[in-house]
Amino acid sequence: MSGSINARIGSIVVSGMSKRFRLERNRASSLKEAVLRKNRNHQTDEFWALQNINLDVTAGSFFGLIGHNGSGKSTLLRLMAGIHRPTFGSVEASGRLSALLELGSGFHPDLTGRENIFLNGAMLGMTRKQMTASMDDIIDFSGIGDFVDEPVKIYSSGMYVRLGFAVAVNVDPDILLVDEVMAVGDEEFQRKCQKHMDMLRYQGTTIVLVSHNTGLMAACDQVGWLDHGKLLKIGQPDDVVAAYLHSVDSLG
Amino acid sequence: MRFFRLPQLSPSLRKSITLIYHFAERESKSRYKRSLLGWFWSFLNPLVTVGVYWFVFGTIYEAEPPDTSNDNAENFGLYLFTGLIIWSLFTGLVHGSMEWLSSVSDLRKKIYFPTETALLGGAASNLVQTMLEVAVLVTIMTVLSNIGWTLVFLPVAMALALGFGLGLGFIVSVLNTRYRDVKYLVGILLNVAFFAVPIVYTPALLNDEKIPEIAQLIVTWNPVALIIEISRDATYFLQVPLWNRFLVATACSISTFVIGWIFFRHQSMAISEEP
Repeated sequence: MSGSINARIGSIVVSGMSKRFRLERNRASSLKEAVLRKNRNHQTDEFWALQNINLDVTAGSFFGLIGHNGSGKSTLLRLMAGIHRPTFGSVEASGRLSALLELGSGFHPDLTGRENIFLNGAMLGMTRKQMTASMDDIIDFSGIGDFVDEPVKIYSSGMYVRLGFAVAVNVDPDILLVDEVMAVGDEEFQRKCQKHMDMLRYQGTTIVLVSHNTGLMAACDQVGWLDHGKLLKIGQPDDVVAAYLHSVDSLG
Repeated sequence: MRFFRLPQLSPSLRKSITLIYHFAERESKSRYKRSLLGWFWSFLNPLVTVGVYWFVFGTIYEAEPPDTSNDNAENFGLYLFTGLIIWSLFTGLVHGSMEWLSSVSDLRKKIYFPTETALLGGAASNLVQTMLEVAVLVTIMTVLSNIGWTLVFLPVAMALALGFGLGLGFIVSVLNTRYRDVKYLVGILLNVAFFAVPIVYTPALLNDEKIPEIAQLIVTWNPVALIIEISRDATYFLQVPLWNRFLVATACSISTFVIGWIFFRHQSMAISEEP
């Protein structure tokens, strides 16, 4: 991602951004189908996951995203992480970006935990030397012990998440994107994560958090409310959460 | 004390290089995973191959090898082996690209990284394999004292095969993520193409009125055949490659690589949206 020159490290600027997906049922998955399709007058099913999003996450702030299931929160996070390219508009995140998007994000099932730590680190822009230096911290933080030299496909879901989180927070990120994952670990690990995120925040890491936990939102500097792909409200946590809850209540 | 410093690379380039290295290492490791002899197989395999060809074509069939400047290495098995090295490099890249891309496509849905690094890493690993085969060939040719300065054209031929194979690989690997039949189609096409390249036969075989002119043209001027001829000039015939063939091969290789690269860069972002 090419941030503009004056973009501050750690800031995320989303401007006029829309994201369209084509629906799967209308896609040819074999050549034969694709050729036959040519002769048919088919309608394309499009789905606008996000529409005209304008958002400015200041460097070092803690930003929360709320909204109903399917409102586009996770898609927005994925665009911030650079996984998808916007259909219109732009998303610019500057600095080292680390993301925890789903269970075991960014792990290759056949590789061992240690190999995955290296691979993940490389994808986040860390050198091998840097990764070797923080290897012990990561293994220690994840608490997976000797399993680090086993292929991750034999890991339990808890181990997956713990290792994923351990890598994501120990690579010295400028931006950390978190999508609900913390709900998976046990109480002890959740507290450890919370503590570590507080520390990162204190160090000036920008954090974007997607959660249904309105309690967590209260700690944010700013909260955005997504509804059917549109950013309905953005502002102080209290106001936005109240507006969101009100809309949920009014649905009965 | 350090006497020289590596030039400062941009962070994104450094990241790409680290990833290429990682994917190359992974590919090389997985090749001989759980094997005792490991890399030794990489030597043994081509050595046995050339031995078998030597025996089958040289001794049993008594196939007529093309004339060389000296008689030292005039053996059909060796002639065939030189062609096969380039052919395996080429097909390995085309087949491999599809495998390498699909092996990281799930990963790419969860984390951003420049996807081409997976293909470049795989290609680097294949290139190492080819170099080991070349080492076997050069050793044999040295023992038979059929070696000369023309060997400098061999790395050129390898580079041309790399560019052409990877260029096609860029294209078919992306198409393969969209339509899974591409892999099978490419497999069949490469099987056919194997006979459009003079590997198991000599180009002299084409001087026959039974063979239509179009077939002769294809066999003489297809890029892989041209590249293989360059590699044979380098190690078997010990002569300077014909400049017009060299030019056509270079043009094909570079243009295919550039087109493939552009296509890949343009299309690979959509991989994360594939079901």
